[in-house]
Amino acid sequence: MQLVIASGKGGVGKSTVTASLLYLLKDEYRFVAVDADADAPNLDLLLGVERWEEERELIGAKVARINTESCIRCGICQERCPYDCIKVIDGNYVVSELTCEGCNVCGLVCPVPGTISLAEVRSGLVRKTMTRYGFPLISAQLDVGRPNSGKLVTEEKEWAKKLMDELGLEHMIVDSAAGIGCQVIASIGGADLTILVAEPTPASLSDVQRAYRVVQHFRQPAYLIINKANLNPGFTELEEWATDEDIPILGEIPYDRAVPESMSMLKPVVEVFPDSKVAEAMREIAERVKEEVIK
Amino acid sequence: MQIAVSGGKGGTGKSTVAINLAIVLKDYFDLTLADLDVEAPNDHLLLGVELSNEEPVELFMPRFDYEKCTRCRKCAEVCEEHAIITMRDGTPFLMPNLCSGCAACEIICPVPGAILPGKKLMGHTYLSETPYGFPLVTGRLLEGEERAMPIVSRAKKRAQSLGKKLLMVDTAAGTSNTVSKALEDSELIIAVAEPTPLGIHDGELILRLAELMNIPAVVVINRADLGNVGKVHEIAKKYGAEVIAEIPYSENIIRSYVDGKPIVLTNYPEAKLFREIASKVSEFLGGGK
Repeated sequence: MQLVIASGKGGVGKSTVTASLLYLLKDEYRFVAVDADADAPNLDLLLGVERWEEERELIGAKVARINTESCIRCGICQERCPYDCIKVIDGNYVVSELTCEGCNVCGLVCPVPGTISLAEVRSGLVRKTMTRYGFPLISAQLDVGRPNSGKLVTEEKEWAKKLMDELGLEHMIVDSAAGIGCQVIASIGGADLTILVAEPTPASLSDVQRAYRVVQHFRQPAYLIINKANLNPGFTELEEWATDEDIPILGEIPYDRAVPESMSMLKPVVEVFPDSKVAEAMREIAERVKEEVIK
Repeated sequence: MQIAVSGGKGGTGKSTVAINLAIVLKDYFDLTLADLDVEAPNDHLLLGVELSNEEPVELFMPRFDYEKCTRCRKCAEVCEEHAIITMRDGTPFLMPNLCSGCAACEIICPVPGAILPGKKLMGHTYLSETPYGFPLVTGRLLEGEERAMPIVSRAKKRAQSLGKKLLMVDTAAGTSNTVSKALEDSELIIAVAEPTPLGIHDGELILRLAELMNIPAVVVINRADLGNVGKVHEIAKKYGAEVIAEIPYSENIIRSYVDGKPIVLTNYPEAKLFREIASKVSEFLGGGK
């Protein structure tokens, strides 16, 4: 089955929870892990990956380019660009390649044939390795300023599916990006269920509610893990919301300095600080995941 | 003038820095704060204000007049998102989820009136007054929609249209083109980074983007006692970015955060740190009033 970890808000602990969960599931299940945060891929760091066995370039992003030789400076392209990506620099019309979406509207409206063309550029890398924990990891790295990171995630998941066939793996566990945009939609689309991670703050609640609406959009079941649960005593809205929506709460993890310390050691916190309160909570959550979530 | 608060990694404290900085900087400059983290906008929650003055962000979406359509397939061929599929006889169909609203199909269509302008709601922008003497513009992507760019672009325009001396933007996490859209036209990027290996990795990405965009950057290290601060200084130095503050992990900051009371307005010792950041930024911008 395909299982996604999402949160809406960044920095609530998606990747640290995922890394520990992968560690606790590795002996009983055969799975591939996918880091679907192509903007800021971090799961490899938490799993101590030192090198990639295979890297593939993804050429797929398109950006418009204007030939200043034949350009007549009519300004129609700038007027019609839906995203305001065309600037005049030193009297020349120039497409900002770091914001262009590659729609080619400028090329279509340009009155001088051959002046504006779409160029294919690299959108990033998709990479694979075997972790020291015995399961493979697929990760991607978007080149800075490129669009379509959702396509990178789709590419990652396709590679992961092939690996599942080749290695006879049963599950795919996807650590999604922050937000609710294309990368998250590419992560959640096609999955069987989503585990949401949130902390007890108004910002995290607001963002996880938005992520949950994306999950609902795909008609999937959702589960909730409350991270940094002791951060804000008295904030009960998160639990109340989960109860109202019938989202099972898999567990609560306290805030603990063991987490940033384990990060610095490039290992899951459950491995390096097995006696910490965080590790204890993670083990309980892993047990519930085994009993109730993975089928 | 425009400055931006960004950071690469999510949850490093971008919004906390942005709202506190705005509260102090408004004493130096007439300013607007724009929350361009349209997938997860939170500045209003941290400022304790309700989103108001909602405006829809609608995109063009083609509607086909099949009486007039000649089945030439040009609309499908020109669509870079492959959102238009054609039947064997050339009859076009739209897959609305893939449509980016760019209107390339309408432009290429040789038959006037065969493609009619429909509309698709992508999200909203808001203009909220804050009790701190500056307006907040927020972009918010509709759940289930993939494309953040139109919302970022529209929210930024709305913020610019207020015509204040200083526009301060708070960006999303990451370094994709929606982040560069938010950063564009900034005179300074304040990169908020954590000293963990993850924060350092992602912080370097945002400094690289700043360098590519030719925008000077400074670094604020947040939760500075939870990792290897030396590494952040190393990366900052590599990109010629000055580290202007180190903020320790602080229960007081968390408390002010969850209470929706900006730390800079409290008597906690951390308030001073944010005022120092603001005065350094103001200095960079040449003073103000």
